[in-house]
This record gives sequence, C-alpha cells and structure tokens, in this order.
Amino acid sequence: MIELHELVKHFGDVRAVDGISLTVPRGEFFCVLGPNAAGKTTTIKMLVGLIKPTSGSARVAGFDVQTQPLEARSRLSFVPDFPFLYDKLTPWEFIRFTGQLFRMSDADIRRGADELIPRFSLQEWLHKPIEGLSHGTRQRVAITAALLHSPEVFVIDEPMVGLDPHHARIVKDVLKERALQGMTVFMSTHQIYVADEMADRVGIFHRGRIVAAGTPEELRRRAGTDGALEKAFLAITEEEVRTDSANGAVP
Amino acid sequence: MNAAVPNPAALVFAGPTPFRLLLRIAAISSWRRLLALREQSWFLLAVIGTFLVGYLGLAFGLFYGGLRFISKFPGLGGLLVERLLFVLFAFLFGLLLISNLVISYTNLFKNRETTFLLSLPVPTQTIFQWKFVESTLLASWAFVFLIAPLLCAYGLVNHVAWHFYPLVLVLLALFIVLPGVCGAWASVTLARFLDRKGFQVLLVTGLVALVALMIFQFRPQPVTDEDLDARVLAVIDRLLENTRFANFPFLPSYWMSASVQNWSEGALGAATFFALVMLSHALFFGQLICQRLGPAFYEASNRVNSRGGLFERWGWFQARAARQIAGPHSRLPLPRSDWLDTLLGCGGVLAPDTRALVAKDMRMFWRDTTQWAQTAMLFGLLGVYIINLRHFTRQLDSPFWLSLVSFLNMGACALNLATLTTRFVFPQFSLEGRRVWLVGLAPIGLVRVVWLKFWLASFATLAVTLGLVLLSCTMLGLDAVHTAFFGGSVTVMTFTLNAIAVGLGALYPNFRETNPNKIVSGFGGTFCLVLSFVYILVGVVLLAVSSPWGWKPDMTGEFAPAKAVSSWVIFVLLSYLAGWLPLRLGLRKVATTEL
Repeated sequence: MIELHELVKHFGDVRAVDGISLTVPRGEFFCVLGPNAAGKTTTIKMLVGLIKPTSGSARVAGFDVQTQPLEARSRLSFVPDFPFLYDKLTPWEFIRFTGQLFRMSDADIRRGADELIPRFSLQEWLHKPIEGLSHGTRQRVAITAALLHSPEVFVIDEPMVGLDPHHARIVKDVLKERALQGMTVFMSTHQIYVADEMADRVGIFHRGRIVAAGTPEELRRRAGTDGALEKAFLAITEEEVRTDSANGAVP
Repeated sequence: MNAAVPNPAALVFAGPTPFRLLLRIAAISSWRRLLALREQSWFLLAVIGTFLVGYLGLAFGLFYGGLRFISKFPGLGGLLVERLLFVLFAFLFGLLLISNLVISYTNLFKNRETTFLLSLPVPTQTIFQWKFVESTLLASWAFVFLIAPLLCAYGLVNHVAWHFYPLVLVLLALFIVLPGVCGAWASVTLARFLDRKGFQVLLVTGLVALVALMIFQFRPQPVTDEDLDARVLAVIDRLLENTRFANFPFLPSYWMSASVQNWSEGALGAATFFALVMLSHALFFGQLICQRLGPAFYEASNRVNSRGGLFERWGWFQARAARQIAGPHSRLPLPRSDWLDTLLGCGGVLAPDTRALVAKDMRMFWRDTTQWAQTAMLFGLLGVYIINLRHFTRQLDSPFWLSLVSFLNMGACALNLATLTTRFVFPQFSLEGRRVWLVGLAPIGLVRVVWLKFWLASFATLAVTLGLVLLSCTMLGLDAVHTAFFGGSVTVMTFTLNAIAVGLGALYPNFRETNPNKIVSGFGGTFCLVLSFVYILVGVVLLAVSSPWGWKPDMTGEFAPAKAVSSWVIFVLLSYLAGWLPLRLGLRKVATTEL
C-alpha cells in the first residue's frame, strides 16, 4: 500500500533522507521512531506529496505521489502534529468541507460523521467556532475529518499531542480498528510506548536512514533487551551514534 | 470500511468544485468576522465607522477642491487634471505590483492553508488559482478604498453622466487583475530561483532602485521668480515633461486613465476601446496563469521547502559562519557575542534580562526584511522630499508658507509613524503568541515586557521622526525656537503613538495568529490606526491654531505667549491622556492575564 523506493532528499548540502526503501502492506500499522532530525517528517512530507524527493519515489495504493498526485492523495489522509483548521468554521462545517474536497456525497459524509463524531465526543462542539476549541479538541476534529472518507492510507504525525488519556485511548482504538479493516497507518511519534502498544512493525530512523525495522519483539531481540521498547530504541540509536563517530561522521 | 471514495481518475462528480468550496469557506469566514464585530464595544465601532466615513468625506473634499482649483487654470486646467490622473494611476500600478509580489509570495509559500491544501486531492492548479485570487484581493482592497474619493471628485468636477460611476467600478476590477497576475508570476518565478533571504535582498534592492529612480526622475529644477512671473507655461511644460512616462501607451495604467478620461468627456467609443484593451489583457494573462502556473507553483513550493540558504552555498559565507563558531577556549559550538550584545552591554546600564529582551526584539525586527524594508521605503520617500525642500527656499520665504510646510511635514511624519506603529508595534505583544509563557513566567514579568517594548519602540522611532523633523527645519531655514517647537511636538507625538500601539496591542492580543498582517487587520489594529490618526489630526490642528507663526496668512495676528503656551500644554495633556489611557488599560490587562 505504501512503497518508498530509494527515497533521497537534500536540503542544500544536508542529506535529510538518505535512500529509504520501505514497503508497508495493506492493513499494517507502521510506526516511525527516531531522534530529532532523523528524517521522519521529511519522509512523511514526501510521502504525502508536500515536497518532491531529490531522487527515488513514493507510491500510495499503487499511485506515484509525484506523477499521479490526485490519485494518490485521494487515497490517503494526513494529519500533521499541528493541523490547519479554519478558525471561523465550526467542526461540522470543516468536516463537511473536507469530505466534499474528497468528492464524497452528502449522504456518505453524514454516514461517516454519524460514526466518527460520537466516537471522538465532538457532539458538544460540533456547531461552535473552531477558534474557541482546545488543542486536543482541534486535534480530534482534524482526525475525524481525515478519517471521514475512509482513506486507504492514513499518515499521522504525533497523534497524541494535546489529547487527554481518554481521547488518546479512543484515537488509538479507532486507528487500530481501521487498520484491522484494511487501512494502512503510517504514524510518526516520539511516544515509544504508543508504538509498542499499537504497531505491527516499527521503523527506527537515524540520520535519514532506516537503521532497524521489525515488530517490537524483533527490535528487542536485535538490541538484546527486554521489557519496554524504549530500551531497544535507545540501544539501537546509541549503537548507530557510536558507528557514526567511529566513521568520522559529525553527530 | 465504507467505500466512499469514487475513482478520482474519472473525476466525474456533480458536487461543487474545489475552487467553489474554497470560495464558500472564505465567504463564510469573512461573514463571521463581520458578525464578530457585534461583540465589540459599540462606542469603539462608532469611532471607527466615523473615522472611515470621515476619511472618505475629507479625502473627497480635498480631491474635489484640488481638482476644481487645477481645472480652472487658464488654458491648461484640463491638461493638468488629465496628467494628474495618468501619473496617479501609474504610481498606484507600481505600488500594486510591489504589494502583489510580497503578498503573493507570503500567501503561496509561507501559508498554512496552502500546505493543508497541498496534502488534499485538490489540483495544484486550483490551489494556485485560489491563492492568486486571495492575494490579488488582499493586495488591492486598500487601493480601491484610496482611489474611490478621487474618482468621485473627478466625476463631479467633470459633470459626468451617472453611468460613469458603475463603469469606473468595472474598470477598477479589471485594473487590479494585471498587477495581481504580474505579482503572482514574479513571486513564483523568484521563489524557484531565490531563497527567502535572496528574495528579501532583491526586494530591498528593487525598492532602493525605485526610490533612486524617483529621485532622478523628479529631481527639482530651480525655478526663478522671473520664470514664475513671466514664463509660467515654460515651467509647466518642464513639469509635464517629467511626468510624460505616465502617457506611455503600453502601460496598463494608461489604459485605465484613458478609459476614465474618455468616458468622462463623453468619448464613449475611445473609452470602450481602452476598457476592452484592459479586459483582453486581464482575460488573456489571467487565463494564462490560472491554467498554466499550477505546476510551476508546485515546483517553486518544493524548492522553497527544499533548499539550504542561498548565501551558505558561497565560500565566503561558509568561512564567516565557521569563524563565528566557538572561540578558541570553547569546546561547544556556541557563537561568540556579536556587536549587538557588546553594544547593549556597554556600561552595564541595562540589566541582563532587559538586555536579552531588547536584543531579541531588535534581532527579530532586523531579520524580518519585509518589516524594515517597508519602514525604510516610507521614511525614505519622506526624507527625499524633505531634502528636496532646500530647492524651494526662494518660494518658501513667506512665514506663512514656511510655517504651513513645517506643520504639514510634522503631520506627514506623524502619519507615517502611525502606520508604522500600527503595523509593527501593535502586533508585537500578540506575536509572542505561544512563546508568551516564556516571558510570562520568567522573573521579568509581562508588565515589564510591555514597558520594555514601549521604550524600545519609542526611542527607536524617535531617532527617525525627530531626525526628519529637524532635517525639515534645517532645510526650511527655521530658527532655534521654531526647531525646538517642532522637535518637542514630534517627540511628544512619537511617545504617544507608541503608547497607543503598545497599549492597544496588549489590550487586544491575538495569540492564535502568527501573521502580523492578520493581527493588524483585526478590530484592535483598526482601532489603533483610527485612534492614532484622530490624535494626530487633533494634535496638529491644536498646535497650528494657537501657533504664533501658523494661522494668520498675513502674519497680522499678534503673538500671544499665554495662548501659545496654554495650547502647547493642552496638546501635551491630550497626548498624555491619549497614550497613557490605552497603555494603562493594556498593562492592567497584562497584569491579570492568565497564561
């Protein structure tokens, strides 16, 4: 469902993404972990078509993001860490607007909204201006709008930012349910326990490369650790830092 | 999963197009912004409404009087009015070009909505079309507001038929398209080849070149009294020669002016011809960029978000950056203190926290080229005009004219300052935005932060306004008493205008918005501008009326020291009140703000 092939991105002289190849099949919940400036957000931006790769390609549901952008984007949804919402609209107007941009009929929009709005406890806020909503509520509105058209691929950057534990649980449950129904989830997070709990597979990014990928168990085995995934993550990234230092790379 | 997504490749859908959806969203948002005015104080709304109506009425009155005066000039009135119209539209076209370029760049490449739309199944062509329309309207509404009183006055002076006025609206709508097209095309093209810094450098260079060109084009030519008495036509001919560029027939401003002029004279055929020329160009170029520039916009957007700094590619800048890193005794890559830290640390006058805040504000202002470029442009033009006054000392030898020009210069300087404080000082507090917690929770306290912003802005702008007014006094050859009078007045005005902007900025903060233009365009910003303008108007009139030098054209009025002193005292009290009240209210609100 997601195919990244030798993806490279340069920002001037900086090689932010350094030849990433990855396939995430239909229905898989894939979590991306990595230290800051590891290339996670840049990879996501290339995946959703916000920036072009310097070389390589990204495909969503079989469509190349650069050469068939509309086909690819209509099959995916992207929720950034601080999503853009129109402040003067109400959540319902925003959700409907997003559905219309995805060319859904009014009946389909209502059907989708009927399911998602109660799940995310948005009934109370549905007709109030977005400008007055808390960050967590805005995040729930953005996720609802993004899930409305039942995307085949769901890309989300730091989904739990601003969410209280109750709503974080709901988001996790909904995403997991959708993944089980066939939606591919590509999630970037710094909250390792979320990845440990949710992900079918985890990819660890470091200096623009995927240095480890596998189920949480496989990563633990590789790192020779047990217990929390955090230990495996730290062991793997520290090993990479040591390797870089030994090779003379600037940390 | 429900399969709600139709095959987008087919793109057969009966619903509204993405462009219409975006238009609808914008209309709803705008309408709600209007409705939100109901939540504001009715008194303040009435003040703003009165100001707007007052501006339109005053501008109309001035234009009407001016045009009537010029049109009565024996034998040449019509020609002068015509040239005035052509020159005005030529200048406005140039200003619209710059405005469209800056706004298009920001709107296309530094806008969160654009990023949001780029992640949706909306064609890049549609996104570009939407942003083009939005930028053109944003860049042009003020132009329509400015030009409307002039065109009404022009119509009345020329006794035009009723259909002139609706036609002018159509012509204005066509006229704003071409600068919009040029601005959007230029911003996309420049964004493809220049990074943000390079773009800013080019913009500033362009503005400087424009000012230099204007200085050259409108350089004053000495006119003797004999010329004015005996060879008026020759003098006017020289004046017209300098403005002949506005009659270049391939300028869109020429088509606009020619259409307006011909219609007012009843030459409907010629007017229609020029209107059609404008329409055909607007349609052709509008259609061209709306159908073809989408991919180029996406390419430019990608480059804007993908490149390193332009300057960092060059060896000299790389070496300089390397030199700035870590002194010889430091193991960490920390930059050394720069000249600003050294300057502010001189003498140990400023406490470390004060120094840190002042340095932060100064650095942020300096690094936002669009801020100081606009400031430099506004005050640069005023400076050029004041310096040119030295050529007119022979004509300005009457005390009345000297005094009038001095008051006008002071008023112009204060008005410039009011736009500056509203545009840049007012949003300062709001721009702290999500960072407000940092200074809010620091031991320095928010109240002191607001005070610091006030003092910093006041002293920084005083250097410019006082400098210009002293220059004006010098160029006009005024004596020390006059100079002290005007210098003192503009100093008071500078502190008052900054107090209004800082106070209202704290009173009406908008922490959600990161774009200063949008913060200023809200209720608080509009109120700040209105209050500043009203204060300047009242202040200058008060000073002029009681001035021993200003009011009597023949200087027959006797100097009444008591009257002059009392009016200056009233002016100072008025200034204190106008500045103190908003600042006090702002500080009180800040002191109780819950972060």
